[in-house]
Amino acid sequence: MKVEKARQYVVDSLKYALNPSSIAVVGASRYETKVGNKVVYELLKWGYKGKIYPVNPRANSVLGIKAFHTLKDIKEPVDLVFVAVPAHLVTEIVKEAVEIKAKVITIATSAFKEIGRGDLQNNITQYCRDHKLPLIGPNLVGMGSPYDNFNCGFIPYLPVKGPIAMISQSGANLLAALGTSQESHFGMSFFVGLGNKADVDFSEFIEYAGKDPHTKCLAIYIEGLDSPEAFVDSAKKVDKPIVVIKVGGSKIGVKAAFAHTASENPNADDYYDKIIKESGAIRATTWQEFLDVSLALGYQPPLKGDHIVMITNGGGAGLLSCDHFERSNLPLHELEEISPLLKQRIRAYMPMFGSPLNPVDISGTAGVIQYKGAFKQAFRDPNVDGVLGAICPTAVTDVPGVADAAIEVYNEYKDLGKPFIMICQGGQECSEAIQKLRDNGIPAYKTAEQAVNAMVALYKYGKKHFKK
Amino acid sequence: MGKEYKLGTSEQQEYLRSYNYVPKGYCFLEPGAVASDSNDYAAYNIAKSFYQVYPEVFNISYISKVTGLKEDDIKARIKKMYENREFMLVYNPCVSVSGFGLYYWVVKLKKDTTKEEREELTKWFQDNDQICTGYMMSEGGDFDYYNGNHMRNIDNLVGGVLDKFRFRRCVEYVHICPIRRLVRESHVNQFDSLKDYRRYFFNENAIDKLCKLQKKMDKDDFKIIDAINNTKTIKDMFDYDFLAKLSGLDANDLRENLSRIVDKEKQMFPMVYFNYRALGLKMHFYLVSFFENTPTFRSEEIVDELANEDVFNNIFDFGDSHHNIMLSCYEDINDLDKVKSKLLSYGEVSEVLESTSPRQFRRWTCRLDDDNGYWEECVFTDDVLVDRSVNDTREDK
Repeated sequence: MKVEKARQYVVDSLKYALNPSSIAVVGASRYETKVGNKVVYELLKWGYKGKIYPVNPRANSVLGIKAFHTLKDIKEPVDLVFVAVPAHLVTEIVKEAVEIKAKVITIATSAFKEIGRGDLQNNITQYCRDHKLPLIGPNLVGMGSPYDNFNCGFIPYLPVKGPIAMISQSGANLLAALGTSQESHFGMSFFVGLGNKADVDFSEFIEYAGKDPHTKCLAIYIEGLDSPEAFVDSAKKVDKPIVVIKVGGSKIGVKAAFAHTASENPNADDYYDKIIKESGAIRATTWQEFLDVSLALGYQPPLKGDHIVMITNGGGAGLLSCDHFERSNLPLHELEEISPLLKQRIRAYMPMFGSPLNPVDISGTAGVIQYKGAFKQAFRDPNVDGVLGAICPTAVTDVPGVADAAIEVYNEYKDLGKPFIMICQGGQECSEAIQKLRDNGIPAYKTAEQAVNAMVALYKYGKKHFKK
Repeated sequence: MGKEYKLGTSEQQEYLRSYNYVPKGYCFLEPGAVASDSNDYAAYNIAKSFYQVYPEVFNISYISKVTGLKEDDIKARIKKMYENREFMLVYNPCVSVSGFGLYYWVVKLKKDTTKEEREELTKWFQDNDQICTGYMMSEGGDFDYYNGNHMRNIDNLVGGVLDKFRFRRCVEYVHICPIRRLVRESHVNQFDSLKDYRRYFFNENAIDKLCKLQKKMDKDDFKIIDAINNTKTIKDMFDYDFLAKLSGLDANDLRENLSRIVDKEKQMFPMVYFNYRALGLKMHFYLVSFFENTPTFRSEEIVDELANEDVFNNIFDFGDSHHNIMLSCYEDINDLDKVKSKLLSYGEVSEVLESTSPRQFRRWTCRLDDDNGYWEECVFTDDVLVDRSVNDTREDK
């Protein structure tokens, strides 16, 4: 349901959704094969420190924890009510949640508006609004935060800690992002599935994320915007980069988005393009770009200007990059143009057949010493705004050593506020290097185009940021 | 003798007029069958989820009118019966139209079966979610277990369930008893009874004796169960306004949808199950076999005659099996000699095997083992799209 603008009582209550001191899990099953059981199991498994109250009218105990037959039987304060029961039971549970003065209710249940039960969803939502009980969902997978060991929902793992708040209407894509986080060390501050977003809106999570100390970038997956004005208003208030992927623009996608999260898309995709531009957010087209760009904006400062220096041991990676920079309307400048002195200094780190243009090709024979020297020179040069490094593993390339060198240089010079991005295009050793680099705050990617997209996003955000 | 259903006469089976074969089998899926999570089931699903806390889901004023008990007393008794695990709201689906075959099977253990072997097998049956209903028999009877599965595929029953235990040293035999007609189950006439669909039977004399034997339940409790189960239409079983209040759905839709699938289409019906184990009762089973040259119509006539007896709380009629009927009634409160004499009075009966059950494992997927902390945990398994006949040695380990 529409909101005119983010409601303060909702924004203030979201801390109870993402860091509650007590949770009632309604529909907590005794059977480990059932989803209601998994919610309690995952809370325990990931070390949630608050109180858990399983609610099940048939059970006296779930996973060794005392169970309650109804919410009203819990005599202690409840911050969050997580609902995992069929849709026809939810109305009464919402009333009980109001009665026990819960702070937030999250409804994971499906089969509301998306299957034609719009009235039921709206009635429940209105009841929650009348009683100022923020409702997240329905039809969602869950939420959590690695900083609080909080994994609440049907979610098999927590992401690694990091700066990105992942706000997604789709549960499946949220899980995909969490999987990526585990596998490729895409660090998150918190994550939440919004599902049908009957009550709590994107705008309210945007304002919450704006104040969350762990969040440096907001990554938002949208299937439909019920309240575009509120979205724009909140996004403008937040002084953190926002990356948006908006789907459901294709002919069939419009129908699929409704069937999935009851998202209505009455306008053409251009309309959403304008809304996103007006909000100041960066729009990604593909899922991969969405993740890549969010990673860069989460970990790195904005790019002040277009003086980017690329240092690589492989000409191919350099060529892929400079072509893609140009396609992205951010062509690389020659090193001579950026800094004639740097061009001279950097020669010391390459063989005679190396190239001091831009990309700077320090050649396939480059070792840790050459990389470290070239990186240092580039960072130290006052005319350089950002550095893009690339490792192409030849038989003589010490990939872990170069990654360590990159981390060492970055730590030494990160206070200069210059973005640093790495490309590691190769096999297992490169995957491991990417994880290590990301763990140390350096966005690293498998392909040149991913890294260029990331740098371009830092430039776009820089234009907005430094204008202020 | 009544109809003979003789080929070529007006009595022959109706389907033989359209087809050259008999649609013989157990697993039918008929047009119009709906799933248990559909809107049509909503009223039952709401009641099933809330009756533990709100007895008001039942039509209390109707029960009061029928029993003469005060409404508050009825609500208190319903709560008491639930909390003491004496009754449970359940439903029976008509498997004959919803695409499942209903396959019961009898297990006989060898005489030298050890206590440990028996206990281990009992636990295996209790914990196996594919087994939707099951009875454990006391040692010393003619057979030791009587369990059942709803399955779409006989190979899945054999490969996925029976093969997993029947080659144990202690197992003498497993006889599959596919249900041809589900006549009565848990005191209530089922979809394949000749008459009195949904009628609840509990012999009055037996109730009198039972109330003298124990103090947990009295006659008024049984009157309430009778009143709930014996409504003429399902529209009288629940308080649909209360269900609407709980769910936010429309009362009229809830009532009419459920009535359509219960009263008109006979796809399912809700009922209250009486848990005999909670009162320490034992159920005596009779496994009846007819001579092999007994015509089917005659065996069905016998089943229909026995169904007139309110002493029986279960009547299962089998096809393609060593046996023909399984019937049961409670020990201690019925005259078992008289029951057996009645069975043996039929010249078609070749054998009656007997065993006594002190414990039911599940009641149509709802677990009854409160002692294990799983009271009313329901797991509906479905073998559609699954081939469980593949030999998976990992499971054997």
